[in-house]
Amino acid sequence: MKLIDAVDICRRAVREPAQELKVFLACGFTPLHLSTFLSAALRLLRPDDKIVVESGLFGDLAGNIIRAHDSAADSAVVAIEWSDLDPRLGIRTLGGWRPDAIGDIVYSATEAAARIEGGVRMLASRTPTVLCLPSLPLPPLFVTRPAQAGLLEMNLRKAVASVAASLSECSGVQVASPGLLSEMSPPGERYDVKSDVLSGFPYSLRHASAVGELFANLIHKPEPKKGLITDLDDTIWSGIVGEDGVDGISWSLERGHMHGLYQQFAAALAGAGVLIAVASKNDPAIVMRAFDRSDLLLSKEDVFPVETGWSRKSDSIQRILKAWNIGPDAVVFVDDSPMEVAEVKSAFPEMECLVFPKDDYKAIWDLLKHLRDVFGKPVVTGDDSIRLQSLRSAAGLKDTVGTDGHSVDHFLKECDARLVIERVEASDARAFELVNKTNQFNLNGKRIGEVEWRRMVGEPASLAFSVCYRDKYGPLGKVAVLLGRRTGRRCSVHAWVMSCRAFSRRIEHQCLKYLFESHGVDEIEFDYDSTARNGPLREFLAELSGRAPAPSMIVTKREFEARVPLLFHRIEARNYV
Amino acid sequence: MSERENRLVRCFTSVFPWVAAEEIRNLSAESGDWDSLSAVTLSAVVQEEFGLDIDPHVLPTLDSYESFRAYVCQARLKDEELLG
Repeated sequence: MKLIDAVDICRRAVREPAQELKVFLACGFTPLHLSTFLSAALRLLRPDDKIVVESGLFGDLAGNIIRAHDSAADSAVVAIEWSDLDPRLGIRTLGGWRPDAIGDIVYSATEAAARIEGGVRMLASRTPTVLCLPSLPLPPLFVTRPAQAGLLEMNLRKAVASVAASLSECSGVQVASPGLLSEMSPPGERYDVKSDVLSGFPYSLRHASAVGELFANLIHKPEPKKGLITDLDDTIWSGIVGEDGVDGISWSLERGHMHGLYQQFAAALAGAGVLIAVASKNDPAIVMRAFDRSDLLLSKEDVFPVETGWSRKSDSIQRILKAWNIGPDAVVFVDDSPMEVAEVKSAFPEMECLVFPKDDYKAIWDLLKHLRDVFGKPVVTGDDSIRLQSLRSAAGLKDTVGTDGHSVDHFLKECDARLVIERVEASDARAFELVNKTNQFNLNGKRIGEVEWRRMVGEPASLAFSVCYRDKYGPLGKVAVLLGRRTGRRCSVHAWVMSCRAFSRRIEHQCLKYLFESHGVDEIEFDYDSTARNGPLREFLAELSGRAPAPSMIVTKREFEARVPLLFHRIEARNYV
Repeated sequence: MSERENRLVRCFTSVFPWVAAEEIRNLSAESGDWDSLSAVTLSAVVQEEFGLDIDPHVLPTLDSYESFRAYVCQARLKDEELLG
């Protein structure tokens, strides 16, 4: 992005009322154009928001990290440069580069890096923080030729890398990828010596643009896609299984290696909790035999459901979406046939539909990188690894109730369901994720930022609990979160979500029973709001209260007890008073 | 107005969006809209837009629309001379 375009974007009027996104940019250099590029990149990602970028004092990174902590920012960005670790690693301070001083420079920089690590940890405990490691070249202070990295230089880089590695696993910190930054901004073109000397801003405009874009990309976290629907022939493997036979399809270095790479990638996604399904125009029996091949990297246990047959792909995909109970906007479809991709895209315009470029190595590489971008998540939780298992058990539940003629009560009683209700901590990534990505059983559709989340959960008067579920069919993991506040005999519920995987098990009833009985309240006030997608929550409240749900509606204990169905769960409450 | 001057006006309009278009050509450091931050941003925008590397000794003299216009024209003439 050119600076003039960034300036124009920043000056565009925001339609009121706009939500404000306040970002604190902590750096030791003057933030100047980086602030402009960051603001512009955020405006492009969040055109309806008012973007405010604050910064601190020149030459005081450590102090600016404290200022960021004390600010009411929604996000913080910490951009470290070498001169922040020791001024002699910059060129604005003439502190001496004699060989006998270099050891001291490296030592003091290592100490400073450790102090910055402490500051970032403190900052991240309150505010989501993006960290960028030194991105500029080191000045020519080492005795070796630039082509050679000596011991002191490597020790300096090691100290910074060690801090970054430690912070990368700190909750609330995202370390900006040096690799991606190198792709966006070639290292040799980053440093503007003249600008550094004259104005204290060391970045070339191109580099400032790239860093701003990378920061914005990390601050604005799009919801990861949930499912990948893939074709088989000439996509998962090379060849047409119906024509070449089970032994004729391949994914080896001799033929079709990039298909093997795609398999390996899909299996990795499955391991991280992404749902993988197959939509293939094929004979089901031969596909099952192909999945029995022991050298397939994507096992049949990773895939659910497998939709094979001769109907339109969009029909198969409709059935997969129903089995997953998620919307098309949360799914990516990959097929080698542009015609099939177009057919599915016309049926599901919200779905991302991609052609598998089977004969183009570089394009497949780029496809995998793109898929990592849309499916990527900061951490893989225990719930991610059991998502597929719980979907299979949910399908089993529907089948059992539907085909055996059992009553629902009888079936639920036989399920041997156990609920663990526990207090939510601010660091609970799964609970935070649930609140912000659940659509159907969602009290009001409001998304909660990390700063607000920490505040709501941390308030002494708050009622914040999550529910984990398991039954004889297996665990569903953490499936529900409720945030509220108790005042006297009334509980006000501000946020309440439940995963669609957990529907039909009366967990929602148990949540309210728990509130009424364990917290001694007589009525519950719901901060309800109708959204385009929260029909299941709306129906539940209507059924429970006998009237159409409305904002601030109240359900009394008497109403609840009159309408609650039989509940069979065994309850275990943890960390709760 | 030449294409070059149009681009210069756009640079000024971006940095001083609140100044009316007909007033842009009268802008100078004497006017209240001109501060150090806008001066630094303006010089960066102009350098990027015209592919210039403004001599730091010249920077303090670029304190009005007219001085920028003269500088940009002079730079163009030098380019043309170099190209023969």
